[in-house]
Amino acid sequence: MKQMPRWVGSFKGLALLGLIACDPVHSNDIAALGGEAPGVSKGPMHRPGQPCTVCHDGAIGDPPAFSVAGTVFETPSSAQGADGVTVTMVDSSGSSHSATTNAAGNFYLTPQNWTPVYPILSVTVAAGDVGAIMHSQISWSGSCGWCHVKPAGPSSPGHVSLMLDDGGTPP
Amino acid sequence: MSEQERHRPSRRRLTSMNEKTCPPIVLAALLLLGCDVPSSTAQFTEQVPDRASFPDVAQAMVAHCGTLDCHGTPYRNMRIYGNTGLRWLATDQTLNPPCTTSAEVDQDFDSVVGFEPEAMSAVVAQHGANPDLLTMVRKARGIESHKGGTVMKPGDDLDTCITSWLADNTQTSACQRVGPATTPPPLPGTEPACEPGP
Repeated sequence: MKQMPRWVGSFKGLALLGLIACDPVHSNDIAALGGEAPGVSKGPMHRPGQPCTVCHDGAIGDPPAFSVAGTVFETPSSAQGADGVTVTMVDSSGSSHSATTNAAGNFYLTPQNWTPVYPILSVTVAAGDVGAIMHSQISWSGSCGWCHVKPAGPSSPGHVSLMLDDGGTPP
Repeated sequence: MSEQERHRPSRRRLTSMNEKTCPPIVLAALLLLGCDVPSSTAQFTEQVPDRASFPDVAQAMVAHCGTLDCHGTPYRNMRIYGNTGLRWLATDQTLNPPCTTSAEVDQDFDSVVGFEPEAMSAVVAQHGANPDLLTMVRKARGIESHKGGTVMKPGDDLDTCITSWLADNTQTSACQRVGPATTPPPLPGTEPACEPGP
């Protein structure tokens, strides 16, 4: 029997990788995020408010995976992230983990930090004596920005924020 | 004539009939079956579970199925509207109004009973004896692949709430135990009116 040239096997492997990489839904999700903001390079401060795990999903060629990540803003309409906010989550196994936001309002946990068992049943954001509780559970999405899209409307509660625009606290 | 010889001719006749007569008969039968179209006036009337006891079931489903990353999104076939997720009116927002409205309960009812009308009818006709006929139940129980994983197990409160409703014997207390822990207060400066179902 004639043996197949070695390059044929390599070509098949490359073709398979190409097919995996060509997920149009994933590509469209990434394209919808747009480019980096001027003056902000890739890193912990970039893309506040966006659904982090669209890219940080652990796929080959993508940036490091996040298990849970998001942004807390000062108010729902503010573009300024809230620094030093503690985000505490409790999953359905009873495991709890906290993360603190950076100057952009971003926080992120890697799977090595915490891999929640979904649904996540409780989320609180707090800074000093100011805080807010999330009133629904999270079923599967590790990105706050998946649902918390600005502006608030019938299908989104708006950005996660520590305080309301009038200085009050969210319910 | 031996026993064997007496039977041989009849077997031959039978074989002959099979080969020559049966294919056209089978073909004709298949053709007749193929032409069996439903009457243009035929209607399917779905049997649905109780609407009056659905608000408690709806609220349990809002809490466990209707999150914005799951069935609280317009991209799902089985869509759940409610106070902590997707709102029905374009002017409403999460927690404003603070309660799930009767219009939202109506939408949730239509979504749940309209998803698989034949299977729903069968479940209701059997008084809820076989809820696994419904994809909704199979997915929630983790029997079938489900993005949201296993969200209920036979006998737990959410499962009891939904399956008792399908059996026309809604266990309201089970539904209330898995509904939202608290009704959140209205947002400052927003309409405080709360219009829960039905």
